[in-house]
Amino acid sequence: MKRLISFLLAPLFFLLPGCGAQEAEEQFFSMDTVMSIHAYGSGAAEAAAAARREVEALDSQLSRTKADSLISQLNAHAGDGTDVALDTDTARLLAFSKSISQLLPGDFDITIAPVMDAWGFTGENRHVPDSETLSAAMALVGSEGLSVDEAAGTARLERAGMAVDLGAVAKGYAAAKAEEALREAGITSALLDLGRNITAIGPKTDGTAWRVGVADPENDSQYLCILSLEDQTASTSGGYERYFEENGVRYHHIIDPETGYPADSGLKSVTVISADHLLADALSTALFVAGPEEALEFWRSRDDFELVLCTGENQLLVTEGLEAGFTFTGEELGYDCQIIRR
Amino acid sequence: MTARLSAADRRRPTPWDLLVAVLVVGAAVALLFFLRQESGNFLSARVVLDGETIAQYNLTTLTEPVTLEVDDAPYPLTIQAEHGRIRIVESSCPGQDCVHTGWASRAGQQLICLPNRLVIALEGETSEGIDAVTG
Repeated sequence: MKRLISFLLAPLFFLLPGCGAQEAEEQFFSMDTVMSIHAYGSGAAEAAAAARREVEALDSQLSRTKADSLISQLNAHAGDGTDVALDTDTARLLAFSKSISQLLPGDFDITIAPVMDAWGFTGENRHVPDSETLSAAMALVGSEGLSVDEAAGTARLERAGMAVDLGAVAKGYAAAKAEEALREAGITSALLDLGRNITAIGPKTDGTAWRVGVADPENDSQYLCILSLEDQTASTSGGYERYFEENGVRYHHIIDPETGYPADSGLKSVTVISADHLLADALSTALFVAGPEEALEFWRSRDDFELVLCTGENQLLVTEGLEAGFTFTGEELGYDCQIIRR
Repeated sequence: MTARLSAADRRRPTPWDLLVAVLVVGAAVALLFFLRQESGNFLSARVVLDGETIAQYNLTTLTEPVTLEVDDAPYPLTIQAEHGRIRIVESSCPGQDCVHTGWASRAGQQLICLPNRLVIALEGETSEGIDAVTG
């Protein structure tokens, strides 16, 4: 009988360690989106709160809708010759953004802000701008007119009316800062959802990889595929989340810096997976504008990111580095899947 | 003729003991399967306005459609819930991104109206064991 009791009680010993595991969640609005931070392990609550503070502090410097932010100051001094003093984060982020513009010319430019405003994507009234307004705004775009001195911690916009918007990189940088705060607090397992940019820190507490679904651009309730992530960010850009319709035409918010119109490159969405959170964020926007051929060509030239491209022809192009741990779930939704090799 | 031994005195298990053991294990497995099915199907929706839960629906057990008018939001909106799904059917917010999202029907999905700081979070167990969604 004793043996029987010990046999029945044995599973409890395996379950008990689970009772000590700590889990904490912070959900909040920041950077014009909804964010959540899940942290696991000892001190999870304090760590998640510290990570949230990092993100919010960053937002207060990078937002161009907050009048007292560093970016607002930079924009306010456009064309008056002032070298605006910045903090390390802001200077670094501006320099990084300029480098992406140089790597992918015509596909990415943080000085696109005046054009975003012309379309009303910054405020409340989205509309197609008249051609005069649009060409005036386009004349102000060009990151060669943004000078950044990272060592001195200053930046300058050369022409009056120019403005920068860090919407395409801020969440990636925020993920890196949040990760830093979590790791400093001793957290080795966490999941960040910063406006649907997902950052997996470490594996899950059971040692397995995080499972991240890539949403179907046509129906948010469905997934195109499931990725296995560990110490990586998956960042997605698509024209289906923020848009408006005018005279039966749909206009989305990712503006092509070359045309001044919403990007129309044959892609419905681009998901970039990288251990470099900032790079993943910036490239998802840039490669959405670039289109499938240029995106894959760029992927072949580097080894620090992977791609899931969803084309207008309902094809899923997945780069080979994702193959292990990848599950294609888009077949029933009418998608084909192809693994792209180098 | 020897007297029949009581169960307490017997040393060796009889086929009846085996049958009881099989039945107990069978019942346990059936119960486990049943409970998993239940949690797999369970879907609820929590409506949070600026950090405060203002409504909660068990979408699994809803039989009739329910409408919720959120008049005290900065931009009043109307939420519609029915069996297995929920959506923001109408909103006076400028962007209409929340209305464009359409129905949400999967655990882990969120409907968001940013200008209103409103989130509808779907909770339950996902069949694929998804931890997060990008896109």
